[in-house]
Amino acid sequence: MSLSRRDFLRMGFLAVCGTVIPLGSLEILKPEAMASLVHPYSKRKRWAYVVDTTKCVGCGMCVKACKLENEIPFNADVQRTWVERYVQLNSGEVIIDSPRGARYGYTSNDPQGRAVEQDEIAKGFFVPKLCNHCEKPSCVQVCPVGATYATPDGVVLVDRKWCIGCGYCITNCPYFARFFHPVVNTADKCTFCYHRITKGLNPACVQACPFGVRKFGKLNDPDSEVFKIINTERVAVLKPEFGNEPHVFYIGLDHIVR
Amino acid sequence: MSEPIEGHLVHGAIWTIKELYTYPNEYLYWTVHIVIYPFLTGLVAGAFVLSSLYHVFGKNELRPVSKFALVFSLALLIMAPTPLLFHLTKPWRALNTMLTPHFYSAISAFIFVYLTYMSIVVAEVWFVFRPFIVQQAREKTGYLGLLYKVLTLGSYDVSERALALDHKISKILAAVGIPAAALLHGYVGFIFGSVKTVPLWKTPLMPFIFLMSAVISGLAICIATYIAVMTFKKTYICLTTVRSMGKTLTLFLIIAFLLESLDIVFHAYTAEEFWAILSEIIFHRFSVNILVLQWGLGMIVPLVLLLIPNAGLIRSFVASCLVVFGVFMMRWDVVIGGQSMSRSLAGFMKFKMPILPTSIDAFREGLIVVIFLLVMPFVLLYVFNKVLPVFRDIFTEEECEIHTKEISRKEAHT
Amino acid sequence: MSHAWRPVAVVFGVILCMMFFRMLFKPSDFKAANGDYKYQYHRVKSEDDWKSFKVKHMGTEFCAECHPDKIEIVKGSGHSTVKCENCHAMFEPSKKGHEKVDLKATKQYLLDIGIDRSRELCKRCHAKISYRPQVVKMIDPNTHNQGIECVNCHDVHRTSFK
Repeated sequence: MSLSRRDFLRMGFLAVCGTVIPLGSLEILKPEAMASLVHPYSKRKRWAYVVDTTKCVGCGMCVKACKLENEIPFNADVQRTWVERYVQLNSGEVIIDSPRGARYGYTSNDPQGRAVEQDEIAKGFFVPKLCNHCEKPSCVQVCPVGATYATPDGVVLVDRKWCIGCGYCITNCPYFARFFHPVVNTADKCTFCYHRITKGLNPACVQACPFGVRKFGKLNDPDSEVFKIINTERVAVLKPEFGNEPHVFYIGLDHIVR
Repeated sequence: MSEPIEGHLVHGAIWTIKELYTYPNEYLYWTVHIVIYPFLTGLVAGAFVLSSLYHVFGKNELRPVSKFALVFSLALLIMAPTPLLFHLTKPWRALNTMLTPHFYSAISAFIFVYLTYMSIVVAEVWFVFRPFIVQQAREKTGYLGLLYKVLTLGSYDVSERALALDHKISKILAAVGIPAAALLHGYVGFIFGSVKTVPLWKTPLMPFIFLMSAVISGLAICIATYIAVMTFKKTYICLTTVRSMGKTLTLFLIIAFLLESLDIVFHAYTAEEFWAILSEIIFHRFSVNILVLQWGLGMIVPLVLLLIPNAGLIRSFVASCLVVFGVFMMRWDVVIGGQSMSRSLAGFMKFKMPILPTSIDAFREGLIVVIFLLVMPFVLLYVFNKVLPVFRDIFTEEECEIHTKEISRKEAHT
Repeated sequence: MSHAWRPVAVVFGVILCMMFFRMLFKPSDFKAANGDYKYQYHRVKSEDDWKSFKVKHMGTEFCAECHPDKIEIVKGSGHSTVKCENCHAMFEPSKKGHEKVDLKATKQYLLDIGIDRSRELCKRCHAKISYRPQVVKMIDPNTHNQGIECVNCHDVHRTSFK
């Protein structure tokens, strides 16, 4: 059997391809590639937040402090952080409200302004909300001009001098943590009090909470309380199905929480 | 609790009525301008496709409307981005999209897609009307003469060879323009389809749904405007031309209807978490809008009107007007309806359009601006008609007869 | 040259103008930080804008500069975790009044400090709501001495009766 040079080359080429491709597929069998597709939090050393909803009494001091600290007009019905109330009745009906973002606190049992008898109530609780400072913020992805961005330490900020006010980021936030600032007229959101945390202080809402509901710290930092909680306790995030990888972790979340 | 004084009006609060539980920051941030913007871009795409049918697909019976459709699409194109300027809270920063475009965002490319398409349309207008422009530049004096002289771009070559080249190039541009129009409008659909937080928008079908409704609305508005203008001018209208347009409209109408209903059927069948609130929107809160106005009046009635043989002028006119109205309602239902279900999936928002301009916000998003935006394309068409012979290319009765025979021959052949 | 090139020239002219415009007005510090164009494409100086935002809530230590006695009292009371600013930072202009010392002028302190004696303030934590976590004493505001200010009987700093 005689083999021409061309045939030899062709067969050699096919043989090499034929071995390389299956070998390449073995790549995914490597232990580090097979280890896990689930990672509970960012691998970076970045800021994160823990909310212990079981301790929240709904006083709204955090909302008030946030508004004053960040110069969001107090009377305006937009807020960087707010507290929601969930009341589930014996009938299975769920009543959710957050009157004025709870900046005046919850002072009576009147969800949605309804008079609800105490023995009708199966369970009730308060859930503080704020920007989740996602690892993959969908709001940043859609800004057409690069006026909103994530800092290397994981905080999502808005550039007030560059924002055009199209509202695409607001529409793309699953949590509705964004709004138009009533005075500046650009998109606005929680900054984790960037001016405070970069000076070693806690965010205003964390400082204002008398009950230790809100905790703030760095991930992947062994000294951080937040990191300890996320690593050792059962925590949940809001709306993980959107793939944003939110970095506000909740203790005591319920399935009726939106 | 003491009600606070309305110190600062929040953007969105004047026209949003909240029901049940909506997030505290949740308002209708995208309102009527985001309805008009895709509506106008859709008309552009449709009108351009119509003008290309003659140039590219050799539908000779459409010659009378080809130039008109082209110029009308330019008029609409000029107005298409203006709703966005009214929508932005910082309109003077609009050019930031050009300075620092962030291409991960669907809207950052708008200005580039828009300008590309604009250059194609303007170039085609130039090549199509060049002989006329050159002639006017030679004859007219004064400001108008100067305008035509500028429009010639300094070239007065109207030799046989040059005109043949013009014809060839305009044919190429018309062909290139179709995918560009599809891109422009499919892209507008993508802007909505890629918003993952709004269940009604988040579907890969969105670009195609938008594209099809764009084509039908553009065709329909051209039919309606053409019939109206010609009747007003007391000029003979070749029925074959109108019927040919109606036939194309019917075809696209069926596709558009199928796509839209497919989308809803899919949502209903998969019944994800949001279906409870979405079905409440479709079958209750927006049922008149979606089922009666958008689908009933906007699609099924015109479809029936067009499918009954021997459509006359009045029937075509009515059907076209209904289609345009239906597509406007579709934009409305998608944009306002999509946002009116709260992202908490536990509440609703209602849109109340500001009528009187009581504040800057109420003016920007109010009725006056809406009327201005919807009327301006026709004003521009009027102006263009003063400068260019938009409606002069009409068939005489004999020509009409010839084309009618040609078509019936073709049909008999197939 | 054929006339057909003229529109092409116009288009190129427009493109050149746009590039020139961009060269003139694009902020020099606009970049994709850490090579991350998706999430970190921004004007770098904007971070400094946020860093230089004014801190307003200064915390208990700040108040202790002048009121060490009060701080001591609160520290030993049931209100030890409550910050001064929680109750004393005012959002209603009518209630502000840190009259003897102008904090804004002398200490560059930006909040309005005052005293809120209304029942509403206390009710934020102490109104009885059945599902409120039992971490504080709660009263039913409808039956508990309606119409009287809490501070008439309660010493808020000591969390005891007067």
